[in-house]
Amino acid sequence: MSRYFEDIATDDELEPLERLPTEDKAVEFFGRDNPTNPAFGDAEAGRRMGFGGALVPGLLKLSWITNYVGAWAGPEANLRSVRVAFRRPDIAGKPLTLAGRVVDKRQEDGANIVELEVVTLADDQPTVRGNVQVEIPSRP
Amino acid sequence: MADVTESKITDEHRAMIGQKSDPIEVVPRTPDAQRMRDLLDDSDPRWADGTGIAPPYILAMMEPRLPAELSPQVLSSGILTQTEWKFSQPIKLEEPLQAVTQLIDVRDRLGGRYGYSVLVMFQTAYLNSDGEEAAASLRTITQFDRPE
Repeated sequence: MSRYFEDIATDDELEPLERLPTEDKAVEFFGRDNPTNPAFGDAEAGRRMGFGGALVPGLLKLSWITNYVGAWAGPEANLRSVRVAFRRPDIAGKPLTLAGRVVDKRQEDGANIVELEVVTLADDQPTVRGNVQVEIPSRP
Repeated sequence: MADVTESKITDEHRAMIGQKSDPIEVVPRTPDAQRMRDLLDDSDPRWADGTGIAPPYILAMMEPRLPAELSPQVLSSGILTQTEWKFSQPIKLEEPLQAVTQLIDVRDRLGGRYGYSVLVMFQTAYLNSDGEEAAASLRTITQFDRPE
């Protein structure tokens, strides 16, 4: 479903979305034949590195955020940028909640720009904080 | 953790800022796009089968390793703490891109969970066959010394 600039207001909230990261998803994300950090697919390797289990890849979380905002913005929108800060490690098997809200909307060089803040939460604590900029069409 | 009152960044480290890697060819592969779309439950029609367009998160598969010759080793350990992706054009599947990585900054950071740490920032530009930037990524590595 398309979303239009006129229908968006600052402080609009995105519906939260839950994702369950697993060791299997981490390995599958990069492809089973591709080398990755062993701590992504092996809880014991994660524990040896000082974490509580297998690590959730930051790039998987970044991709979830990218997809989360893209789905909200709709197929006529253009993603301009996604910036994230990895605040704390996530451990496979712990559900993550994605949440977001609109923090600004403006017109810039003839384009409708919407800025969002997005976060992933584990046990209600932010693990990734992100800022996303999307170009959204006007209502026809 | 010992207090650090002086920067450990040397002139030699600073001299590396601005240096660029040789271009590396990267190709956004269709099987990668399909696998990632399925894993993320992404049904966006813009990069569905047959469109020839990659989902934006294909960058996760394309990011080249940070070149050692551009990576100042100020402290002993490092972890990726920030990433930014920028998109200028749709990324076409199977169309080779030239990835050029540049060290853009090295700076001290005092305080925070790592104590004294050093932020090392790299930008990778993905250029199409016309030399235009299709996408870019900015990666920040936080270097720190592991406590003994």
